[in-house]
Amino acid sequence: MGDTEQPEAGTGTTRTEAAAELAEIKLRQQKVIESVLVRVWYWWVMAAGMVAIGAARDSHDRVVQAITIPLAVLVMVVLTGAMIPEVRRRIQVHSATQPGAHGAAAIFGLIVLVNAATIATAASLAGHRVAHPLTIGYGAGAAVLVIAGPLVMGYCHRLMLTRARQQMKDAPNGGTP
Amino acid sequence: MNTAGFDELIHAPTRLQIVSLLAASQWADFKYIRDELGLSDSALSKQLSILESAGYVEIRKAFVGKRPRTSASLSKAGRHAFGQHVAALQRMLAKSQQDGGAKTPMKPTA
Repeated sequence: MGDTEQPEAGTGTTRTEAAAELAEIKLRQQKVIESVLVRVWYWWVMAAGMVAIGAARDSHDRVVQAITIPLAVLVMVVLTGAMIPEVRRRIQVHSATQPGAHGAAAIFGLIVLVNAATIATAASLAGHRVAHPLTIGYGAGAAVLVIAGPLVMGYCHRLMLTRARQQMKDAPNGGTP
Repeated sequence: MNTAGFDELIHAPTRLQIVSLLAASQWADFKYIRDELGLSDSALSKQLSILESAGYVEIRKAFVGKRPRTSASLSKAGRHAFGQHVAALQRMLAKSQQDGGAKTPMKPTA
């Protein structure tokens, strides 16, 4: 190594150290954002619950329905109800980083899409007298959920990261990262 | 406080991690910070006390049921100091790039 970096006057910090510090700050931002997003397994559990409900309804067996449907709904409700407070118990993302109206619109869009796929598929199959229309209909909705759920979370992740990065860019102008 | 917003208190590696994490959040649970940064209870307590003494961090202790819960958040002063520190780092980086990266080669990152 011939040349050595000169520390910035008054700080004792080199350019490389400054770059490493900024990288660390970005990494922490990213970790905080990731910690509040819904995990992939959540979508799979919800999808399994949906298919179970569809299959139970198609069985036309009252005992199967009486056990499976409340159980599946219970799992889905408890999982959703437990996950949100669990995340909120640990950390709350800075208000300026939250996905806001765009994130809410994306989640609402996901719900509409899943319901539309489920109802349209089940109704169409039932109209054509295909066997097990509800199982397949709920399966279609579940497939949409498993594919689109992580995509929506990815969108929220990018949105939050962009906002966090913007805050950092604004720091020299008096912004608060 | 140091030259043009560069903050020695925040500059220390562990405190930088803590402040960066808190800067991205409204507040964070003590256990969350500890686990995320891989620190011991005592190490985190010590660093939080230093930051609290400087007025950068606010510690909140509450009970949820019978369980005590400690959380930390950046104070307004802490957020401002962090913003200034980030700005100082960005200026240092921009300045060294303007001065010519070719003249001062980058040290390999460890």
